[in-house]
Amino acid sequence: MTLKVDNVLKRYSIRKTKSQVNALNGISFELSRGKTLGIVGESGCGKSTLARLIVGLEAPTEGALHWEGQPIGANARNRLRNQHSRIQLVFQDPYSSLNPRQRIGECLAEVISTHKLRERSAVDQRVAELLTVVGISPDLRHRYPHQLSGGQRQRVSIARSLAAEPDLLVLDEPVSALDVSVRADVMNLLVDLRDQFGLTYIFISHDLSMVRHISDDIAVMYLGRIVEYGPWESVLESAAHPYTRALIESMPDHTRVGRADFESPLEGEVPDPANLPSGCAFHLRCPLAIDSCSREVPQLIQVRDTHFAACPVVVK
Amino acid sequence: MTSSDLLTVENLSVETSQDHRNLTHGVSFSIAPGEAVGVVGESGSGKTLTALAVLGLLPRGVRASSGAVNFAGVNLLNTDAEKLREIRGKEIAMIYQDPMTALNPVMKLGNQLLEVLHSHSHQIKDPVAHVKSALADVGIPDPERAMASYPHEFSGGMRQRVMIAMSLLLSPKLLIADEPTTALDVTIQRQILSLVSKERSRRSMSMLWITHDLGVVANLVDRVIVMYAGRIVEIGTVSEIFKNPQHPYTAGLLASLPRTDDKVRDKLNSIPGVPPKPWLVGESCAFAPRCSRADQECRQSIPPLLDQLHSKCACFHPMGANL
Repeated sequence: MTLKVDNVLKRYSIRKTKSQVNALNGISFELSRGKTLGIVGESGCGKSTLARLIVGLEAPTEGALHWEGQPIGANARNRLRNQHSRIQLVFQDPYSSLNPRQRIGECLAEVISTHKLRERSAVDQRVAELLTVVGISPDLRHRYPHQLSGGQRQRVSIARSLAAEPDLLVLDEPVSALDVSVRADVMNLLVDLRDQFGLTYIFISHDLSMVRHISDDIAVMYLGRIVEYGPWESVLESAAHPYTRALIESMPDHTRVGRADFESPLEGEVPDPANLPSGCAFHLRCPLAIDSCSREVPQLIQVRDTHFAACPVVVK
Repeated sequence: MTSSDLLTVENLSVETSQDHRNLTHGVSFSIAPGEAVGVVGESGSGKTLTALAVLGLLPRGVRASSGAVNFAGVNLLNTDAEKLREIRGKEIAMIYQDPMTALNPVMKLGNQLLEVLHSHSHQIKDPVAHVKSALADVGIPDPERAMASYPHEFSGGMRQRVMIAMSLLLSPKLLIADEPTTALDVTIQRQILSLVSKERSRRSMSMLWITHDLGVVANLVDRVIVMYAGRIVEIGTVSEIFKNPQHPYTAGLLASLPRTDDKVRDKLNSIPGVPPKPWLVGESCAFAPRCSRADQECRQSIPPLLDQLHSKCACFHPMGANL
């Protein structure tokens, strides 16, 4: 076991309305080394908050996260730098996450020297290595980010996270900002790097087809909770939770041509996270909801083997 | 193209006014009454500029350098601003990607919707009732309260519904949509697509739907236009384009998407390189540097858009029959 997330709750206070939001409401899972967990969900489900907690940018309000037995979190400041080199975050937007005034070679060199990973004389060599690994010619090391294409910039972002020699990469929508013809390339690179370096991934996306492509396990999140969790095939092919099913049905699918069956599977909108409905947060939109759904918060129940879903109506 | 078409775009080219950089080149297509056409392309392919040129709404510094846009017998490129204003909103309506920037943030929604009616010489007896029923049609729960609200009081999905209600107020013959669901969550996107689809059938309205998402057009339109570096590279019916793409770019794009029925999850087919700037292409096929089928001919001349096996395609070496 490498990553253990144990009953994590993250609460934010909204000063303006003097109210509180639970961005994460009791998240637990474990992820073993070399595996990829795909996290899918819509805006406001807490997937990016979870990413920030895993890399230690923020501390949980309740619960704990552990990386190889060591606690992750802003309260463990003195261990932070060491940890940061083990767990790295790759952001969605390669346009805003790279310093526009820093040459890409310098950007990588900075990471290497901050974490004291190479002798000063060996830094240049290492920068060239990293660029080569992500498929960028080391000759481009003197370029600024604006002189690169979107796909190249995302490759630099990935190289920057690899520079710290991490074990775990948290990828927050890494291909969403890229042009369609470039996405496949970056996805292939991510799969290659994982296999080559034995990396562990948390792959966060709203795009189920990308999550499907890369994940071993999939977690479906809705309003701060995991509503379904399990091996990718089991979750996608025999989805239990009504929200997972609606999500799968809503995905635009280029393999199904024609306007057959164009009913929307879900009515209504995602409720305001600051003002959640009682019981199951999904019950107001759920086609299967029964009386008890508005009273009791459903817990994850075993569907089969390692596949769990938080719906007592479907899973008995 | 036939005389019965609602919109015909002929040989439309768009360039920057100052240094005459070509942004789109020789774009020709038509839309029949009641037909839905999708335009697919990546950023910089010229899909949005083509739509804006149709409406005479090109941004400052960009102009249509040649071609014609015929809508119901009028060439919109030679029409004066006054007449164009009458057509926009009434005959042709547009919805945008981001309803927050398309709506006025400091004006109540009711007034914004009523303004559409007031600015066109309409025959509607009770404008307020008309706006209310338009809002109810697109699934706004409490139309009266919505009219008294500001855009920021609504979610992205609800704002897009309001935009759609606004665009349909005067029953336009053609709706142009520029990535209206790209910023929305998938379940909300599905609701909006379903809504637009139903309204289009109900009104037998024509539609031009611009998107980078092949999955969206597959479920929504009758015909597809694929654009690359400012040119149309392929036009065909949705089933032909998706089942038997002729242009290597269309084929490559489709093959690069992860399939929902793929058990093995092999490497995705990627297209090497990046799309070029349209004005830097010169006398060659813009896709040639990324194309495995390209030869000398492709690097020396621009392939014309010709009838192929299943579609119209601009390629010297189309994919051919798919067995």
